[in-house]
Parts: sequence; C-alpha cells; structure tokens
Amino acid sequence: MKRFSAPRPGIRRKPLSLLSLPVFAFLVVPTLIVVPVALNNSRYITFPPDGISLAAVQGFFADPAWTSALSASMQAAGIAVVLGVVFGASAAIGLHGRKFPGQQAVVGLVLAPMIVPTVVLALAFYQFFISVGLVGSIVPIGLAHAVIATPYVYLTTRASLAGLNPALVRSAQSLGAGTLSVFRHVHMPVILPGLISGALFAFSVSIDETVMSLFMQSPGATTLPVKMFTDIQFNLTPKIAVSSALLVTVATIGLLIQVVYVLKRRSTARMMPLAA
Amino acid sequence: MSTPTIAPTARQPGTATARKGAIELRQVRKTYGEVVAVDRLDLSIQPGEFVTLLGPSGSGKTTTMMMVAGFEEHTSGSVMIDGAPVDSLPPRERNLGVVFQNYALFPHMSARENVEFALRMRRVPKAESRRRADDALDRVGLAGLGGRKPRQLSGGQQQRVALARALVFNPAALLLDEPMAALDKRLREHMQEEIKALQKSLGISVLFVTHDQDEAMAMSDRIVVMKDGRIVQSGPPEEVYNHPVTDWVASFLGDTNLIPATVISREGGEAVVDLGGLGAGRVRDRGARGDKYAVSIRPEHLTFRVAPGRENSGTGELVSSTNLGATIRHRIMAGGRELQLRELSSNGGAAGQPAGATVHVGWDADKAQLLVLEG
Repeated sequence: MKRFSAPRPGIRRKPLSLLSLPVFAFLVVPTLIVVPVALNNSRYITFPPDGISLAAVQGFFADPAWTSALSASMQAAGIAVVLGVVFGASAAIGLHGRKFPGQQAVVGLVLAPMIVPTVVLALAFYQFFISVGLVGSIVPIGLAHAVIATPYVYLTTRASLAGLNPALVRSAQSLGAGTLSVFRHVHMPVILPGLISGALFAFSVSIDETVMSLFMQSPGATTLPVKMFTDIQFNLTPKIAVSSALLVTVATIGLLIQVVYVLKRRSTARMMPLAA
Repeated sequence: MSTPTIAPTARQPGTATARKGAIELRQVRKTYGEVVAVDRLDLSIQPGEFVTLLGPSGSGKTTTMMMVAGFEEHTSGSVMIDGAPVDSLPPRERNLGVVFQNYALFPHMSARENVEFALRMRRVPKAESRRRADDALDRVGLAGLGGRKPRQLSGGQQQRVALARALVFNPAALLLDEPMAALDKRLREHMQEEIKALQKSLGISVLFVTHDQDEAMAMSDRIVVMKDGRIVQSGPPEEVYNHPVTDWVASFLGDTNLIPATVISREGGEAVVDLGGLGAGRVRDRGARGDKYAVSIRPEHLTFRVAPGRENSGTGELVSSTNLGATIRHRIMAGGRELQLRELSSNGGAAGQPAGATVHVGWDADKAQLLVLEG
C-alpha cells in the first residue's frame, strides 16, 4: 500500500517568505531611512550620510521654531485623544446591544469623518472656526483632530464590547448597580484594551494630520507636519529628518506598548489553570 | 472529587417576623408589536414558596421572569412585590436576587468580590461586607475559594458563586433562569437538592424557570405549566403529573398513553367512557370539559394481567421490550393503539415473553385521568 507522507512544512514556507521579504522591505525602508539622515552631520539633507552625529538632533531641540511646533502638535494630540476617547467610547457603549430606528444613520454619522475627504473637512472647519471667531490658537486644530479621531476610538471600543456578555449588565443592575457603577464595573474592564488602542490611534492620527492643520495654521499654532512641509520647500535642513525620526520613534514606542500589553494579557490568561 | 454540601443555617437574626417575598402578577401582558409573548397572566407566589415556570421555548416563561425582575417592561398589567407595585421600579431597586443561565459572574473580579458586589452597591462597610461574603461562600460550600477568578472555577462552582452573590443581600425573592442548563446530569441532580435545601432553610421565595420537567418535579412546591404565553395548569407537582387537564400537559410532563375517549356518563368524580378498541373504562373525572376527550394513563400505571378484564383493560400483542436498566419499556399493540407500559426491571412481569406474544394489560380507575383533547 502506498504510504502518504505529510508535506514537510520547511519546504513549503521558503518560496512564500522569499516573496514577502522584498515587500516587507519596500514598506519599511522608506520610513527607516530618515534615521540615518537625521544622524548625519551636515547643513543640508544628504544621503548616504557621511557620519553619525547628534548635532542635528541638538540643533532641533535648540531651535524655538521647531520646539514650538512639537509643542503645538502635542497639545493638539492631547485634545484629540481626550475628546476622541470620551466621544468614541460613549458612542460605542451607547450604541451597543440596542436596536432603534435610525441606528444605522447614527453609526454612519459617527464614522463619517473617516470617509469624508480630509481637504473637504479642512475647508469646512476653517470656515466654521472663522465664523465663530476661534482662530489663532491650537484649540480649533485640536478640536478638528478630535473629530477625525473619534471614529477610530468608536471602532476599537465597539470591537472590545463584542466580547461583553450582555447578561453582565443585567446582573450588575439586579445587584443594585446604577448606570455609573455598571459602566465602571462591567464596561470599563472590557473596553480598556479598546480604549488604549483607540487612544493610540487617535494620537497617531492627530500627530500625522497635515491638511487641516495647514488650513488653520497661525503663528504659535503650527504643528510639526506643517512646519516640515514648509521647510522642505524653503529650508532643507536635517532638522526635518530629525522631526521625522522623532515621529517614527514615537510611533514605534506606541506600537511596542500595544504588543507588550497584548502579550502580557495572553500569558496571564494561560497561566491560570482551570480547577478540576 | 466530592461535591460539597450547602449547609442549612438558621434564618438570619434581624429579619422581620412578617414573612416577605410575596410576588404577584396581575393580568400581565407583553407584546412585541404583533407578537404576544405573555397573555394576561395572573400569578401569585407566597412567601417562602418555590414556584417553577415550566414550558417549552417560546412559552413566555423567561419573559415573565424578566418582567418580575424588571429587565422587560410589561405592556399592561401590574407586578407587585410584598403588596407594593414595582412597575415603575428599575431592576436595581427591586431587591431581587437573580441567577442567570450562564451565571454572568464578573470575569475580572474574584469570587469574593463578585459576592461582595451587591453589598458594595449598598455602601456596606468593607469589613462587614467581606465577612458576609465569606459567610455566603461558606454556606454554598465554597469556603476558601473566595480568591479565585471565575475562569479558575468549574461550572458547578461558578453556579454556587452566582447563588451566593444573589443571596448575600437578603433579597425578597430569588429568581433563577434555567441555571442548571450547563451542568452534567449528576451535578445537576446534586445542585437541585442543594438549592432546594438552601431555599427551605432561608425561607426565601423562589421563581424558577425551566423546560426540564424532571427538574420542575424535583424542586417545586408548585409547578406553573406555560404554553404560548398562557398558564395551562398550575399546582403541586404530584397533581400536575397525575391529573393533567389537557393532553398537551400530560405529554409535556412525561410519557403517557393518550387514548381518545367518548364520555358515556359522569358521576361523583368518576366517568364511564368508551375507549374504542379498548372497550369500556372507568376513570377519574376532575371536571375537565371540552369538545373532545382522551384518557391519560402513565406507562408506569399499566400492569400486566393474567386474564382479560371487563373494563380498564386490554388484550394485545407484545411488540417490543426494551431494557433501560432500572426499568423495562414494553410496547403493546392493543385495541388498535400502541400502548407503552413501564415496569421495574426487578418485577419482570413479562420477562421472557417473546415479541408477538399475546398479553393482557390493565389499570386502576384512579390512575387513569380524563382530560380534554386539545388536538
């Protein structure tokens, strides 16, 4: 009788990994290229770099134009994260497990900022904030960022809520919990991972946002990407690369936080044995 | 592993001498648009009574329980607890302990924290609430396991935590929604006895929902049989089982032989009926009135006879005998109907009789129930 043997996995995997390597490189290398450029010692952006030095980095942090841009970006991100989390999470919890007429429309409204082209939003916000006289500070930019961040937080929180046993809410209620207690003891533990993901999304969306920040910029309310954009045209120094490298580092740290958090939760779940 | 016993305790000092836990539903109705889930229900639970809502899925039993708990709002009618209407009260103010089908324990809290939850919501000081929670866990046989998280506990243990959690704040009554569904047979039977014992020792009213008639029979002071949103019959287990009012109730509560009958005469609780191919019969008449009748005889009430009788009997062919371990199930074709007869294996009335043999069966008049054929 002919014996059938299972295909050896090693042999199957090789062609697939050979194919994915160049794709991986294509995606990652352009991003990482800013790091050696930032550590280059020269007055203009050159590649390949001819030395490693922290002069450009030091120059970046000594330049008030750049540090105020960094500060502006941080403030806008702060507003975006706080408001995005509050609105996105509230929307997710409020719309969870309920059925009412027009529900789809409400969900559509929450997600709309993701779908509407950014330049359309930028123009709309610009006109709106001028009409209410909210100009010249980072606040309108932060608010605009909050609007586009909210859908992301809504989605991540909604995903976490999918794992919520609906009987838990009723359970807590029958034991005497009011709305706030139900939120604190039933919803919060479940949505915390979703909130953290959402907050990180909101942060990165805000930091990266260029179009709306460009429309609403003013002295003192110039975010990092806007400063980079202007400088590339008129003032091509390695400080731009430092800025990029900074953003890449922050993004990587954010990603690592996520990964560590997820792995830690998985391993604690595995460590607890089930009683006989 | 031995299953720990729930220790009965004396009623807690400080409870009012007037017994609490009377639940009343008056003309309670629940509709979802066109669909009527519960149709003008009247139900009364006395303090300390164990009442089971028994019925198939869709009978409205769970909806009824949800309305008592306050999770569903009734369309009309009123719900009262200890004489006070609770229609406008949200679940958290009704002071009822609820055990859900999948227990719904808070996954991120320990067993003790789960049990303490209700006390925390009532602002009971930490030390006292911890003591009472440990007490409750003791009473359900989980002493020492308070620190474990729900995922570290077995199904039976989780159910005990759910019970402790629902009882720790001395609620007016306990509501249980098919709590045994996830347990295996042996554990289920053990828990049935434990819950019953606990209920008796605490003197608390219980509203129990199940579709399992054995469970209902084992635990209830009173069984309320529901079908299509209505109460079909209500009474102590023995009465509902032995004196069903309709053929549907008879079949739902267990196996039965249903023989269509024509009533010839009725007198003083007994009726003389014509059972078609099975001849004449004398049966218990409890006043069932309808268009069509049938006689219900439980398989365990049929017995083998040595000779044919004048009434309440039949002669036929033994179709099959199946040994089920403790009992033997015989199928007999008599008078044009297939009858089921169950006897204890130790009796062995038809032992050795081959299929096809002629047998005589009979039954006592007071074991045969005249009921209405719903069709």
